[in-house]
Amino acid sequence: MKLERWNPSVKAGTILVSVILLSFQYLVSLNLTVFVLSLLLLLFCSQARPRQIAAILIPAAVAAAGLFVTGLYYSRGGSITDVQMDSLSAVPYAVRAAMSRNLYTASQLATRLLAYAGLGILFALSTDGEYFISSLMHQCRLSPKFAYGVLAAFHLLPGMIREFRSVRTAFAVRGIRAGALSIRPIFTMLVNSVRWSESVAMAMESKGFCGEAPRSYYTVPRVRWTDWAGSILCIGAIAAGMLLFRY
Amino acid sequence: MPAEKALQLDDVVFRFLEKGKRNVLDHVSLEIEAGGITVLMGGSGCGKSTLAAVAAGLYPENGGFMESGEIRLFGQPLKGMNQQQRAALLTLMFQNPDLQFCMDTLRKEMRFCMENLCVPPEQMDEKLTRAGAHLGVAEMLDRSLHTLSGGEKQKAALACLYVMESRCILLDESFANIDRSAARGILELLVRFKQEGRTVIAIDHRADLWLDAADEIVILGEGGRVKACGIRRENLAEYRQTFEENGLFYPQAPVRLYPPRPAGEAMLCFRGVNIRRGRPAGKKRGDRKEEEPLLLRQADAQFPRGSMTAVLGPSGCGKTTTFLAVLKQHPYTGSIQLNGRELNRMRPGDLYRQVGIVFQNPANQFITQNVEEEIRASLRVWERQLSEEKREQRVSQLLESYQLTRCRRYSPYMLSQGQQRRLAVLSVLAGGQKLLLLDEPTYGQDDRSSRAIMLQLRRKIEEEGLTVIFITHDRALAAVWADRVYELSGQKLVERNPGELCP
Repeated sequence: MKLERWNPSVKAGTILVSVILLSFQYLVSLNLTVFVLSLLLLLFCSQARPRQIAAILIPAAVAAAGLFVTGLYYSRGGSITDVQMDSLSAVPYAVRAAMSRNLYTASQLATRLLAYAGLGILFALSTDGEYFISSLMHQCRLSPKFAYGVLAAFHLLPGMIREFRSVRTAFAVRGIRAGALSIRPIFTMLVNSVRWSESVAMAMESKGFCGEAPRSYYTVPRVRWTDWAGSILCIGAIAAGMLLFRY
Repeated sequence: MPAEKALQLDDVVFRFLEKGKRNVLDHVSLEIEAGGITVLMGGSGCGKSTLAAVAAGLYPENGGFMESGEIRLFGQPLKGMNQQQRAALLTLMFQNPDLQFCMDTLRKEMRFCMENLCVPPEQMDEKLTRAGAHLGVAEMLDRSLHTLSGGEKQKAALACLYVMESRCILLDESFANIDRSAARGILELLVRFKQEGRTVIAIDHRADLWLDAADEIVILGEGGRVKACGIRRENLAEYRQTFEENGLFYPQAPVRLYPPRPAGEAMLCFRGVNIRRGRPAGKKRGDRKEEEPLLLRQADAQFPRGSMTAVLGPSGCGKTTTFLAVLKQHPYTGSIQLNGRELNRMRPGDLYRQVGIVFQNPANQFITQNVEEEIRASLRVWERQLSEEKREQRVSQLLESYQLTRCRRYSPYMLSQGQQRRLAVLSVLAGGQKLLLLDEPTYGQDDRSSRAIMLQLRRKIEEEGLTVIFITHDRALAAVWADRVYELSGQKLVERNPGELCP
C-alpha cells in the first residue's frame, strides 16, 4: 500500500494520536524505532525523494543534537554547574559523573524529538495538499469556503514571489537599498496582495462559488477499511511498544 | 413578441461609500438584447468596470452601496439570487489574467466551476474534453496555470466559462493585457459562443477589434450613463464626435503627430547580446541555467539619443527580461554599452543615475505612502546636495509640470492608473536620468490617458533631450509615437519602419 493513498484525514488523526501517545513515555528504544520505521516507510512506501527527506531531517537533527547537549549538561540528574569546582583535579571526574547520570535523560529528549520529526515528515511528504483539503472537507466537515480560500491563496504564491522580485528590482533601480528583510518591499507586496485576494474572491464568486449552496464534487475522498486498518496498526504498535519496551 | 433582454439596468445608482458624494453609477439605464455581441465602451473612470461587477451581483455584496435601481438578468430580478443562480445566467471574465483562477491547472479549475453549478461528476469529463477540443485548449489542460502566457490564460478563463454554460458572458476589458493575435483568437471563440445562442457583452475601450463581430456598440459617458447606442460598422462615422468627446479611440489608421527624428548617435548599444530566460542574477541555480531557452541570440541594436524607440513583440517573448538585463538585474553575455561605456564595468549606482524604468504595474515601485513624499524621496537619493528649501521648490515644480499638484497628499495607491504612471515617470526621472525604459506604458489605460503620457514624454524628448525606449505589444502605438522600431522575433532585434507597421 502506498502512503499517498492512505486517506489524509485518517492519516492526520493517526499521526496526532501517535504523537500524543509518545509524549506519555520516555523510552529511547521506542522513540528510535518510531523514527526509523517512519523513514523506512517513507523511503519504500511513498514517492518522497530521499533529498526532500534529508532537507527536513537536517534541521531536525540539529535541534535534536542541541536538545541532547542541553539534557546532558543541565537536567534533573544534577546540573554540572552544581558540581563542586573547588579542586581542579576533581573537575573531570565530577563532570563525568554528572554526565553519566544525565546521558539517559538527554537521549530521551533527543530521540523523542526525532520521533516527532519522523512522524511529521511521514505525513508531510506523503500527502498531497489538495487531497488533504478535499478530504478535510468531506471527512471533517471543513467549510468549502475556507477550503477553497486556502487553495486559492496557495496558488497565488508563485505570482506573489514574482511580484516581490519585481518590487525589489524597482526599488534597486530607484536607488533605494532594500535588504532581504526590509519592510518596504514587503509592504508594497502586501498592498498588492490584498487587492489580488479581493479580485480572486470576486472571480470565484462570479464562477458560481458560494459557501452555502450545495455543490457537486468530481472526486470524493473515501475512507476504506484499509485506512482504518493502517491506523489501528500504527497506534497499536506504539501502544504495544510502550508496554513491551523497557528502556 | 419582443426580443428577450439579457441584461436590464433600470435607474441604477451606485457608489462605494454610503455617505460619499460621487456616484460611480449615476442613474444608469441600459438594456442589452439576448443572443448578440454587444460592446460597452467608455473612457477610464466612467464606471464601466463597476457596471460589470454590479451587473454580476459582485457589488454591492462585496462592498459599495446601491441607492436605487433594479437589475434583471433574462427578465429575472438579480436581487435575491445566490452566486450559483447568478452564475448560471451571467459570468464575468476579468481584465487581469493572473487573478481569476483558484486552482493550479485548467482541468482542476474547470472542474471547480462545474462543481459550483452542481454538474453531476459523471458528466464532467465529457464536458471537459468537449470544451478542450472545441476551444483548442486541450494541450494546456494539465499545464500549471501560472506558466501560461497572458493570452493563454484568458483562453483558459474562457474555457471555464464555456463549461459553465451560463447564458451570458460579460468580458471586463479582457483584451487589455494581451496582444492582438491572442485577442483575435479569443474573439473567434466568442463568435462561436454567439452561434450557440449565448449572449456576449464586452467592456472595452477600443472598438477596432470588435467592429466586425459586434452587433451593437454602446458608448457610456460620465457615471456610466448611455451616450449613444446602436453603433455598427455601417453607421460608425456618424458617431466620431461621440467617440472623441468621451476620450475613446476612433477606429482609423494611426496618425503621427510628430515626424520621426533623425537617428543621432547611439545612447544604448547592443552587440552580440545573448539573454536566457530564467531567474535574475544572483538567484540562479547553477545547473539549471544551461537548460533555460535563449530569448536573445547574438542580437544587435542601436538606441539613438534624444529619441523614442519602441520594442515590439508578443507577450512573453522576452522584452521585459531584456530591459532587466540593461538594468543589470538579469544575466546576459555579449556587449551592452551605455554612452560608450560597457555596462559590466559600471557600478549599479552610477547606472541608475542615468537609467530609470517604469514597470507595467507602476504601483510596484512606490516607496512611500504619499505622492509628494514619493518625489522628495527620489530627490533625496539622487540630489543629496540640494538644500531643504530648494528641494521643496523642486518638488512643487515637478508636481506642477506633471499635473499632480491636486493630489499631492494622496496615497499613490489611490491614484488612477494614468496618474500612477505619470507619478512613476516623474519619480524615476527626478534625479535627472537621461534614459527612460517603459514597460507597456499604455497598460490598463484608455486612449486619452495613454496619449497624455506619450505626449508628455515626447515633449521631454524635444525639450530636454531625454531618450525613451518602450516595449509594447500594440503596433499602432509604436507606429504613432516611435522614431525607431525594433521587433523581437526569432531571438533577434529586427529593425522595422514605423510607417509600415500598420497596413
